[in-house]
Amino acid sequence: MNENTIQFATLVRREILRFVRRPYNTFLPPIITNTLYFSVFGVILGSRIGEIAGVSYLQFVLPGLVVLGAISDSFENASFTIFHGRWNDYIQAVLTSPMSNRSMVTAYVSASALRGIVTSLLIVGVGLVFTPVPLANPLYLVAFLLVITTLFGGLGVIGGLWASDFDYLTVMNQFILRPLVFFGAVFYSLDVLPPLWRNVSLLNPMVYMVNGVRYGMIGVTEIDPNTSLAVLTGVTVVVLAIDFVLFRRGYGLAE
Amino acid sequence: MTAPAIETRELHKSYGDVQALDGLDLTVDRGEFFGLLGPNGAGKTTFINTLVGLVKKDSGTAEVFGFDVEDDYREARDRIGLAPQEFNVDRFFPIIEVLEHKAGYHGIGSDEARRRAEDALKTVGIWEKRDTRFDWLSGGMKRRFVLARALVSDPDLLILDEPTAGVDVQLRHDLWDIINRMNDEGTTILLTTHYIEEAERLCDRVAIMDSGRKVEVAAPDELMARGTDTIDIGLADPPRSAPGLDVEGVTEVAVTDDGLSVTAAGGSQTAPALMRALERQGHTVTSLDIRRASLEEVFVNLTRDDREFAEVSA
Repeated sequence: MNENTIQFATLVRREILRFVRRPYNTFLPPIITNTLYFSVFGVILGSRIGEIAGVSYLQFVLPGLVVLGAISDSFENASFTIFHGRWNDYIQAVLTSPMSNRSMVTAYVSASALRGIVTSLLIVGVGLVFTPVPLANPLYLVAFLLVITTLFGGLGVIGGLWASDFDYLTVMNQFILRPLVFFGAVFYSLDVLPPLWRNVSLLNPMVYMVNGVRYGMIGVTEIDPNTSLAVLTGVTVVVLAIDFVLFRRGYGLAE
Repeated sequence: MTAPAIETRELHKSYGDVQALDGLDLTVDRGEFFGLLGPNGAGKTTFINTLVGLVKKDSGTAEVFGFDVEDDYREARDRIGLAPQEFNVDRFFPIIEVLEHKAGYHGIGSDEARRRAEDALKTVGIWEKRDTRFDWLSGGMKRRFVLARALVSDPDLLILDEPTAGVDVQLRHDLWDIINRMNDEGTTILLTTHYIEEAERLCDRVAIMDSGRKVEVAAPDELMARGTDTIDIGLADPPRSAPGLDVEGVTEVAVTDDGLSVTAAGGSQTAPALMRALERQGHTVTSLDIRRASLEEVFVNLTRDDREFAEVSA
């Protein structure tokens, strides 16, 4: 391995070990939360709702819950590790090293995306306990998961650089991301909304992510998956570019 | 021509109205043990953080071994090992892993990183604590660890920001031994300290900084030679008032219980002429004691003079 690869691999490894060694903080919460979701929304309420788009309600909400877990954890991972490193100054060990700014950003985002994907798999695993999980378009599923976890890893970097207190992380995750996902057609089909609210919902980027993953899993979508994937990929590239610029300028990192 | 270890020209950095670095020009030669002295707020840490990229300069140039700290930041940082004043250590991992990570960030492969981490912990004497997290180390061990982390990348320039602040005498001597050994092996050392004795004992040259500027740079002995020594002279017949002494270098004469206390630049050179002058006036010298100016006195005088100058200029 050359020096650049070693530097990148070291930071990725450090980031992965950080979340792997703390499963009670990282992996257990989504398992518990989603078990509750499936129990309440799927089994108790779902049996009364019946089928949506030709699948059981449990199968219909599963892709949305996967997206919710994936973006929450990839965002939380990047924002927390950067903010906590700034808060306790230990990110300086990375910043004062010869790693390139681009390598640092790529490492933080990659590890965060990986955590989001692991969370997705755990949620699918929980779903399997309750219902068969279809896999209609696996390539789309993989592509959407890669793009949205990378996108939210990238957004988490911005959040981690911007935050000046722990409250900021809570605000971003609980008050911005979570409402957007809940109104992103996770628990309902856009078809049940009045036309006005349906159009308003289309302004919510989460709708495209949820529909994309839903297309990958159950083969049903209300929005063209190729368009969604192209737009999300474009947004991800822009967000990563912003990350690189912020690191180069030392935003939140250097005085 | 070989570039110096550190070279800055007209380095400026301000925080609002506060001028942390005010046109700092400084050169540290390769292999040198260089001390940076100055009161709190003099700009020492800002200067160090500019070299490692934690502070963005407003203007001027700063180079490490000929590499610009911003344009060639990767080459510059690869040559620096930093032991900062404040503890900035990853609390998630046992300390040996923290060192392995630091080595990895410098492009050192995992086997070699492990070996270096072990060597660094042994060098600073906390090998038995290798599986402990930083928070569980004692204060002295934390200081040792921060030094180990600076050593793990085998730097050409070791920057130590107050490395012995708050440590006991034994540890201070241990750390001095380690640093001296590094310097003997060719590593350039930049040391900031509040302990004047430390600079006097260790450094080839010291720079005295105040208000973001360099006030003076010289070897500790040279600086001390610029200070005024005190010559205590015992006389068989102490006078009631200070006699007039027309001797070059003498700046002040005071009467004591058993003779005179004379303040003079270069006490050793002045003493013979002083004794002759007293004997010419009919005094009998019974004892002579020369107390050299300390680096601390010179430091206080220089920084006081600089502040008075700044106040007058303002």
